[in-house]
Amino acid sequence: MESKDKKNMKLGILLTTSPENENTNTVIEISKAARHEGHDVSIFLMYDGVYNVNTKDFAGLAEKGVEIAICAFNAEQRKVAKVDGILFGSQYDHACIASDVDRFISFG
Amino acid sequence: MQNMVKNMTIELDLKGEVCPYTFVKTKLKLEEVESGEELVVYFDHAPAVENVPRSLKNEGHKIMGIEQTGDHLWKVRIRKT
Amino acid sequence: MKNISVIIRNLPFNTHKNAEALRMSVGLTLREDKVTVIFMDDGVYTATRTKPEIINIPPPVREFGALTMLKCKMIADKSSLEKRGIKELIENIHILERDEIVRTISESDIIIPF
Repeated sequence: MESKDKKNMKLGILLTTSPENENTNTVIEISKAARHEGHDVSIFLMYDGVYNVNTKDFAGLAEKGVEIAICAFNAEQRKVAKVDGILFGSQYDHACIASDVDRFISFG
Repeated sequence: MQNMVKNMTIELDLKGEVCPYTFVKTKLKLEEVESGEELVVYFDHAPAVENVPRSLKNEGHKIMGIEQTGDHLWKVRIRKT
Repeated sequence: MKNISVIIRNLPFNTHKNAEALRMSVGLTLREDKVTVIFMDDGVYTATRTKPEIINIPPPVREFGALTMLKCKMIADKSSLEKRGIKELIENIHILERDEIVRTISESDIIIPF
């Protein structure tokens, strides 16, 4: 899948917009491309971004090895129910992603 | 004096607080607690009951117990490492 | 330790977004990274003494209080303030020239425009 001489990198993504925004498709495609190259991807969803867990294509990223965490407080405010394979976490998880990754991209 | 301090349980009431203030205030309170001592925190914000203990474990602390003490009220016992 | 800059550029009215950006900034401090909140363009109104409670929106007192307590740097762009005739900001916000704001942004490891 990945070429051996390439360094495996960790990519962090913040998504704060709901699925009707083109950001969702961009995040899906970037995540797939990064996984294809063998990089680790962690996504944090907050604000209206939490609605993305309800879209099949986005939630399907978890099966491709993308780690998805969401702000449980924002999800509770928006009545977004728990989804298997997605961590209903906190802003602490966002801080961990920001702290651990090699590159971080924000989509808002 | 040392023994007196050890027997004391420090409590923190975080009713009305949401994420990330629940964790921020727990973390700040733990700075006042001696290593090995216990801190008891009260929450009424459901996501915090799952997330604060998980985050504290990640920081190396020990969760001694989580108990629901009422309708939307939880008591979490933390031992500082 | 990373330098993280959160940039608030839009009006704080008719949205919870700016308050959420501040709440997120509080969270980002939890792994010992250095967080700076930057108010520029219309975002500077977030740091003025508005009264959102009049229209039943909670004022971001808790957010600003926590950021102050955590010694998080909060800065406002001077030219954005001058353009809008804003003379007074809430406490603990430092007013900086545009080039200093740009330097802060360019020295950041992570930039989050919210």
